[in-house]
Amino acid sequence: MEFHPLPQPEEIVEREKEDAMGAYLMMFAAVAVGLPLPIINLIAAIVYYFVNRKKSRFIHFHCLQSLLSNIPTTVINWGLVIWGINIFFTDRELTDYFWAYAVFAGLCTLLYFVISIIAAFKARQGKMYYFLFFGKISYEVAFRVSEEDSLTNTDPINKPPF
Amino acid sequence: MNSSAFRDLLILVLIGAAILIGGYFIVKQIGKSDLDLSYQVSYEQEEKLGNLFKDIVWDQYPTVKDNTADSSLQKIKARLVNALDTSYYRYDFSIIKSSDINAFTIPGGNIFVFSELLKMAETPEEVAAVLAHEIGHAEKRHVVSKLIKELSATAILSVLSGGDPSVLAQILKSIVGSSFDRKQEEEADQFALALLEKANISPKNLAKFFQRLNEKNLDYDRNLEIIMSHPHNDKRIERARRYKTKNDFKALPFDIDWKKVQESL
Repeated sequence: MEFHPLPQPEEIVEREKEDAMGAYLMMFAAVAVGLPLPIINLIAAIVYYFVNRKKSRFIHFHCLQSLLSNIPTTVINWGLVIWGINIFFTDRELTDYFWAYAVFAGLCTLLYFVISIIAAFKARQGKMYYFLFFGKISYEVAFRVSEEDSLTNTDPINKPPF
Repeated sequence: MNSSAFRDLLILVLIGAAILIGGYFIVKQIGKSDLDLSYQVSYEQEEKLGNLFKDIVWDQYPTVKDNTADSSLQKIKARLVNALDTSYYRYDFSIIKSSDINAFTIPGGNIFVFSELLKMAETPEEVAAVLAHEIGHAEKRHVVSKLIKELSATAILSVLSGGDPSVLAQILKSIVGSSFDRKQEEEADQFALALLEKANISPKNLAKFFQRLNEKNLDYDRNLEIIMSHPHNDKRIERARRYKTKNDFKALPFDIDWKKVQESL
């Protein structure tokens, strides 16, 4: 598998760095809105990804990493919301298991926030920052040389005059 | 996806599982702490506290001194206390004259029942059920652990060494005014059902009493249970009804003229 070379911080323009950083920071605003229904931040991440992914591979990587890492957090928080609603409407008890899951969801969200802030800082400096698992997947998707890239390389539309 | 990504995924799952298991133990630690907390106050200290509070309750509330009512209450108490295997407490039951339907326990096994509750109960067995529930709060040390949670053991024990007298009033307010949490209420219910069976009183009397409470609160919103500390009466009725007594269980009625007791209140 071939990969495009990684851009170095000095090669990345300021706008790219800001857009890459935005992928993580945008989540905080979305989380604030979506706290009761933690689907809002996932929708925001998806929208941000599709709007920005073609701008550059650096931005593509960070947007995808932000989006992918958001999925488990959203699923975990949704689990908590659904469980809570279920308890409320079916008159069940708040068991230790529920509270344990609430602690788990809270800690996962906190962990996600912390690594997102670190990633946002790194992105602003034009650096790569790889989350466990999601970093590798995002790198593979954003920087892998695809067949489309090969075709583009062999038959460029804009050619030099000589 | 290459093998290192799989390894990462495995690490993430393990971290998640560790957080989940850790969360469970944290919750268990917090949840099980009733008895652990209460050990900060010894039974001897609790008894002294109880004596202090008993005097204040007697000062603040009018009590029923009628012999008929009091001797009936003592008969109920004797049956229940004799059925306890072991107890650190010397139980003391008193009747408070009040139009509220209530009963409460203060430290040291001192239980107060309101006259209106006695009027509402149709049989002495129903009163025994309520008192068994209150004994459950005492035996499980819910009263002490609730106080420690709200005020700290240091503040509570300071009253024994002549500390701030305002703390005493605050503690009493906390005892009478606030309810136990849901888990504590359920524990007290379970304790009461077992105690009633041992005392040859049908545990169904707890259900009957809760049923009557329910009838008094017809507009009670059942969906609000989740935000209330007290389990809904329906659930408690159901649990008390479902309680299985031993095959050789035989209910022995009290030798009390209940109508006469009620008239005396």
